[in-house]
Amino acid sequence: MCDITAVLTVDLLAQVLDWLHDSRDLKSCRLVSRAFLQAERMHRRAIRPLRLGPLPVLLRRYVGSLQSLDLSSCPSLDDSALSLSIPCPNNLRSVSLSRATGVTWRGLEVLASVCPRIEAIDISHCVGFGDREAAAVAKACWLKELRIDKCLNVTDVGLAKVAVGCSRLEKLGIKWCFEISEIGIDLLVKKCLELRELDISYLKVGNESLRSIASLSKLEDLALVGCEYIDDEGLYFLSNGNCSLQSIDISRCENVTSVGLTTLAEGQQRLRKINAGNCSPVLTSTFVSKLCTLGDTLIILKLDKLQLLASALEIVGKNCRNLLEIGLSKCNGVNDEGISWLVEGCTNLSTIDLTCCLLVTDKSLLSIAACCRGVKCLWLESCVLISEKGLDQIASCCMDLKEIDLTDCNVNDNALKCLSRCSELLVLKIGLCSGVSDIGLSFIGTNCSKLLELDLYRCTAITDDGLAAISNGCKRLKKLNLCYCNQISDTGLAHLQLEELSDLELRGMVRITSSGITAMAMGCRSLTQLDLKRCYSIDDAGMWALAQYTENLRQLTISYCTVTGLGLCHILGSLRCLQDVKMVHLSWVSIEGFELALRASCGKLKKVKLLGKLQDVLSSELLQTLQARGCRIRWVNKPLVFKG
Amino acid sequence: MDQKQRSSFTYPPRNNSPQESFNPNYDYPQFNSQNRTESPYTPSQFFNSQAREWDPHALLSNLSFLEQKIHQMQNIVREMIRTNEGQNCNISELTAQRQLLTTDLTSTIIQLISTAGSFLPTIRTSLLSGNAPIPQLGSSIPSASSAPSPSAYQPNPSPDYEELTKGWGENVVESAGQIQIEDLDVKEGEDVGQDGDTLPIGSYEVLQLEKEEILAPHTHFCTICGKGFKRDANLRMHMRGHGDEYKSPAALAKPAREPGSQPIPVKRYSCPFVGCKRNKEHKNFQPLKTLLCVKNHYKRSHCEKSYTCSRCNTKKFSVLADLKTHEKHCGRDKWLCSCGTTFSRKDKLFGHVALFQGHTPALPSDEVKGKNEEINDKDDSGGVGYNDGDEYLDMKGGYFSPMVNFDSFSFEGLDEFSRTTFDPTENSFSFLRSGSPDFARKGPGN
Repeated sequence: MCDITAVLTVDLLAQVLDWLHDSRDLKSCRLVSRAFLQAERMHRRAIRPLRLGPLPVLLRRYVGSLQSLDLSSCPSLDDSALSLSIPCPNNLRSVSLSRATGVTWRGLEVLASVCPRIEAIDISHCVGFGDREAAAVAKACWLKELRIDKCLNVTDVGLAKVAVGCSRLEKLGIKWCFEISEIGIDLLVKKCLELRELDISYLKVGNESLRSIASLSKLEDLALVGCEYIDDEGLYFLSNGNCSLQSIDISRCENVTSVGLTTLAEGQQRLRKINAGNCSPVLTSTFVSKLCTLGDTLIILKLDKLQLLASALEIVGKNCRNLLEIGLSKCNGVNDEGISWLVEGCTNLSTIDLTCCLLVTDKSLLSIAACCRGVKCLWLESCVLISEKGLDQIASCCMDLKEIDLTDCNVNDNALKCLSRCSELLVLKIGLCSGVSDIGLSFIGTNCSKLLELDLYRCTAITDDGLAAISNGCKRLKKLNLCYCNQISDTGLAHLQLEELSDLELRGMVRITSSGITAMAMGCRSLTQLDLKRCYSIDDAGMWALAQYTENLRQLTISYCTVTGLGLCHILGSLRCLQDVKMVHLSWVSIEGFELALRASCGKLKKVKLLGKLQDVLSSELLQTLQARGCRIRWVNKPLVFKG
Repeated sequence: MDQKQRSSFTYPPRNNSPQESFNPNYDYPQFNSQNRTESPYTPSQFFNSQAREWDPHALLSNLSFLEQKIHQMQNIVREMIRTNEGQNCNISELTAQRQLLTTDLTSTIIQLISTAGSFLPTIRTSLLSGNAPIPQLGSSIPSASSAPSPSAYQPNPSPDYEELTKGWGENVVESAGQIQIEDLDVKEGEDVGQDGDTLPIGSYEVLQLEKEEILAPHTHFCTICGKGFKRDANLRMHMRGHGDEYKSPAALAKPAREPGSQPIPVKRYSCPFVGCKRNKEHKNFQPLKTLLCVKNHYKRSHCEKSYTCSRCNTKKFSVLADLKTHEKHCGRDKWLCSCGTTFSRKDKLFGHVALFQGHTPALPSDEVKGKNEEINDKDDSGGVGYNDGDEYLDMKGGYFSPMVNFDSFSFEGLDEFSRTTFDPTENSFSFLRSGSPDFARKGPGN
């Protein structure tokens, strides 16, 4: 066999690899030959290991080219593991330690020192992190991007450390850092003049902060979600500031009214994205009429839960002709007339969110189908008045449709038959549609082979045959929700042979047993999330199967299962990626069982949900160890029952 | 106001030799208002004597002349009584004696008024400037012809005051006219300063005390024994021991200002430290309001901090009151900067951090660690080194040398200087102190 690299040089191979995005394809590529492996090695810029074990080997293999390292999925990552796994001379530019609760400031300091040119760090959702961790991160002076969302203990002092240490910051996320106040924001603005993106959502800061922020001349993207102390005056500062905003998210700011939005639209003429959802319920026409001054620049507009009249949509339609995305979720006033005016003007719309627009009927769908042929995402949850007639039109005109949400829309098999013509469909949500049966699913299974996500929540008419049709047709499914489809049995589950399936919800499927789980686990090796709550018949055998076959399992819910201490110990001890376990109401597990199982898992778990009563009976030493390793325990206040 | 004209009023020919104008042998027919029109002084005389300092001997001789005069009159009166008692009185003789007495009295009164008139501006100055040492403020014994106008120190004399001066003879203006061209302003340039906080330029007078005067523990000295006092009141009490004449209620009373005179002109003070923003030469001169301000400013800004807090052993102050204020809440400062400065309020710390490059808030428990790190940081960046020992030396250096730059900054802490200084807030001091290294570093740039 001749060497293929004689024809196809490594450079060319690398160029081919540019076009491969799927990790599975890349894996097949690696396995072709050493030359291919070498090419892939040189080409790879980012890795996201799932387990810590092979990390040093991986890093050594890729050290030359690797720029981005995502350790957020690694269980039992702690300081020593972190410092050992990062090779010293490296080109790392970006490291994600999101949810790496086992890491402390020492690890972060090592990271900052061994990666001198690091530009992006993500330590979001490390809820225990505080000022000391922020100070460690601040040693990375070339940092341009930092996310410390939900690092609950970070205060103004930590933010000041970051602001002084990383003056080149361009993107900063401090969402949910509740301790940060206006003083900290003020200092940040004075020190980090390069800031382009800032997320201060849910902070308890007021208008004065917006006054400081408005002086940031390079600021383009500002998120202020749920800032309850910000009102129209703050938006006035923003509109008169130095910054030239392109995107602003002021959703859930309860005190912002249309007056503030109007001033903002007047002052910031380069706005491309506005999210004003859930602000104040009343939207005067002045704001909408100001929007027309933004006209062509605006591409995303979200007005969820605002009072909109059809005339307002008409203004939007006539002026914002380049709009790509509109969100009108829960806007009571939206009706067919408004939608038709909107889509007549905004023909480029690709995403339309009409969730809970109760007045929308087939007429709207007809006008969308007529005007916006390029629509890709259509969210129609709870639009109860639509029928297969409208969907038929959509399916025949909008051939690009990729996502459609028909949850609670009472669609039936005919509607699915129409929709199945959209062969590009990736996401289909038909939860709570009790009219959908196996026949409808068979259409989907036959035609929508690219489907990635399917939601069949409480589609109670579905049986094993329907599931078989889906499993045979949609081989690329990553996410499947079968909750409360209680006609499905082990036979159906055995049909699930989906190699790429990562997220499976089987909650409340009372007929399935451990044998079904075993069959499923053998077929779906990539599972990372599994919900088995209230599957009362699943016992230790199911746990054994999961422990054996689904080694990437990260989140597991086994509340109400008939698992004993033995099974629990086994699964918690064997699954190396397991990080989040919800095990409430395991009445067959004794206290010793819990104790042993938790000890077996120690070091990996980041989140555990347990019955509150166990708090008193489990050994305090165990709980302390868990917490020291960065594990958060959620205690549920329900009575403790033992059956074992 | 026209400078020339003002100077003509300002400086009386204080250089007159008392012997010429006013000596015991002076017979008083000459000593009247008619004679005063022919002023014996030529400009040249004036020039020759202008450098002469005020001579207390002249005053003394003048007074003894008056004393002699009074004795003479006493004798005349005694004589009159005696002749009356002897019943052998000659009417014509008595009339002659009475006439003599009247003339004598008139001349004495004129003499007195003249002396007092020449003293008036001096007294006023000393009253206003309060603590200025006497020698500087003295004036020569004025002759009858040299009664100076009090408006000398007043750019805009009030009508009342002009009336008062009129009473001293119409020649005053003429004699002043002779020296109109002269500018003997010893306080030259003191009113050059720019406007203060609210005062417009020229609406106040600027005084500058020398370093020694500022730092002198006492500002009031007994003219007899030389003992020094901090307060004038204490001096007055002390003076009682020097004789009964100091025991009168008038001598003991607080020197009141001239009734009916114009309100005291607004005074501002200049710091003698050249280059300081509080120095009148500075282009953005900001005058100090009171003498106390001068003292505290000078000590805080240009003197060594010799008072160390015994509790924390780190904070140093040059003004005792500052130390006492600090001691009140020493140890309660929980906001710490990486440079070692502590603050009682978070916003003050953050203001400090915002102002100085490289400073960060220190984490509560890593004070020592933080400092060590800081040293490394500073060494790398070539900035001012911080370490435990040298920290304050550096800061002092910053305080002493580059005052120009220090003052070219304006930040809230600076306002502390212009405030009455008995409530110096702790924060402002630590704020300034820690700031000094940076000023020092920026020094040459300015």
